[in-house]
Amino acid sequence: MSLMDSLAAGFALVGNIEAFLMLFIGLTVGVIAGAIPGLSATMAVALTLPFTFAMTPINAILLLLGVYKGGIFGGSIPAILIKTPGTPASSATILDGHPMAERGEAGRALGMALYASCTADAVSNLALILFAGWLASFALNFGPPEFFALILFSLTIIAGVSGESLLRGALSALAGLLLATIGLDLVYGTNRFTLGNPNMMGGLNFIAVLIGLFAIPEIISMAWNPVAHLGKTRALGKSRCTWADYKNSFKSIIRGSMIGVFLGSIPGIGAAPSAFLSYSEARRTSKNKDNFGKGEIEGVAASEAGNNGVAGATLIPLLALGVPGDVITAIIIGAFMVHGLQPGPMMFILNVDIIYGLFIGLIVSSVFLLLVGSVAIRGFRFVADVPKRILMPGVLILCIYGVFAVNNNIFDVGVMFVMGWVGYIMMRNRIPAAPFLIAFILGPLLEDNFRQSMLMSGSDPSILFRGPITWFFWFLTFVTVFAITRSTLRKKVPLS
Amino acid sequence: MSQKSLHLRLGIVASLFALFLVFYAIPTYVFSPSNVGNIILSPKFWPYVLAGFTAIIGLGLLFNAVTSATDTPFEDEETGHPEGSAPWMRLGALGAIMVLVMVGLPLLGMVWTAMLAFAACAFLFRTRHPVAALVCAVIVPLLLYAFFAHVAGVAIPQGEFVRLP
Repeated sequence: MSLMDSLAAGFALVGNIEAFLMLFIGLTVGVIAGAIPGLSATMAVALTLPFTFAMTPINAILLLLGVYKGGIFGGSIPAILIKTPGTPASSATILDGHPMAERGEAGRALGMALYASCTADAVSNLALILFAGWLASFALNFGPPEFFALILFSLTIIAGVSGESLLRGALSALAGLLLATIGLDLVYGTNRFTLGNPNMMGGLNFIAVLIGLFAIPEIISMAWNPVAHLGKTRALGKSRCTWADYKNSFKSIIRGSMIGVFLGSIPGIGAAPSAFLSYSEARRTSKNKDNFGKGEIEGVAASEAGNNGVAGATLIPLLALGVPGDVITAIIIGAFMVHGLQPGPMMFILNVDIIYGLFIGLIVSSVFLLLVGSVAIRGFRFVADVPKRILMPGVLILCIYGVFAVNNNIFDVGVMFVMGWVGYIMMRNRIPAAPFLIAFILGPLLEDNFRQSMLMSGSDPSILFRGPITWFFWFLTFVTVFAITRSTLRKKVPLS
Repeated sequence: MSQKSLHLRLGIVASLFALFLVFYAIPTYVFSPSNVGNIILSPKFWPYVLAGFTAIIGLGLLFNAVTSATDTPFEDEETGHPEGSAPWMRLGALGAIMVLVMVGLPLLGMVWTAMLAFAACAFLFRTRHPVAALVCAVIVPLLLYAFFAHVAGVAIPQGEFVRLP
């Protein structure tokens, strides 16, 4: 199929009011959820997922992508106005955004956050469109050993960079891999850790695990400290972001977008490190470097460009390789599966209309984000006033309905509750949840590819090193482990 | 809490869990056909590999804790920590609500159980808007029921007492 044919197929799929309406609703929901401290973009995407079961695949994915993109931008609103990041990715925005709000320039900071976010989002979408197809065609050469090496590399980097410690990240990933072994064996069909319960033979429900890990711990945290969320909201002020502000920060925005695209396309790194790297690069090269941290608008632009530049790029490994780049794309991969789609190189052949439909939707999403974001900035006060002690019980009820709806099974609700407590214990012990969830998703793939490789080679492990592609991923894995271990040791033994 | 004490605790738990897997859980709960000659292809192989790595990580955490010279608390440790036994009691109460939800779902149905759970949670979280909480406790489960039962076509449990259209 030629490019024009693919584009036409994509247009045919999304060229209707319903698809764009879903995208718009998704962005609105995402911005609102991102703007409420404690309701992260991840939680918003997870809670929206059950509402997509009755939709067509393209509408469902567009809705979730809208929530994702809206959530990342929405997180900057409370970061600037109440010094509480709505999502972890907005932490860097606080550094200059909140000082600006304190001196009455919140409107200007939020305006810049919006323009930088939309620009970075557009750059990121462009990167996705340019590179995903190319990477997918390359990945068609992958066999089980190559996929095994790729997934192992992805898990290594996710475990290493998701939290503060490689060891705690690795522990989290191993727990996720172990949980994924529950169910019937992939080759022989024998029981593994099912405890004789037929509900566990198909493995634990992915949506129950993810909602349990990412939504329930927030509710449990509220029980632990019901007043932790209370903060003082700053007024918008009269100053607005001008064209001159945007022009002066443009270099930092583009640099931040590129950093976001680069880091976002590597599985596991995510938006927060990208925002901080973009911010530190902008501070290093800026004429106003002394003002950074005191309310410099270029700092807001850089951090927002860094975190939004990731949004489209994380879809590159998802669509091209079937490997989620971060937790949110891990949830989106679940949505693909719920709708009978398997992301990966074959999707570019079998479902090219959906791929191009998504590309078109993503381009439009940057424009919609500008519209929704402009309104959201003014309406934040209403969002901030939603009493969290009523909101959180509502989230709990939504979780119960949503998880039940997946399989019409009360057992899944129990799994969600148990995983919620597991997630809370992990949170209290500073164990990152992202490696757990991604390992839970990739675990069966990792094992399946390993065992297929062994079957192909008659149990000769040398097949796992059979060619340049596997060597490349093994090399990256060792470099990642070496680099993370070295940086950990350096932190432990400060240079004198 | 410091990194040293955290890693010590996690290291002990991970090591014990790995031993539990190797000596009890995998032999008892993972079944392998008797005709599988090659251990690499056995259903038990992958769990054993993961248990081995868990042990290695556990030992790594212990080594890190033992060799760590400093014992300083984490910089971003929660400072406004609620004191006393009240937080623990609220956690226990939330756990009890979750257990009651599991019991109530087949008995009362999802809508009524959700209403009770919503109200119980709102009061557990000491809401400053009790009337609004009660109104939401009735409306939110009904709206979700309407969506999931009549739009998404999900067979929401109705319970044994009052059935909804």
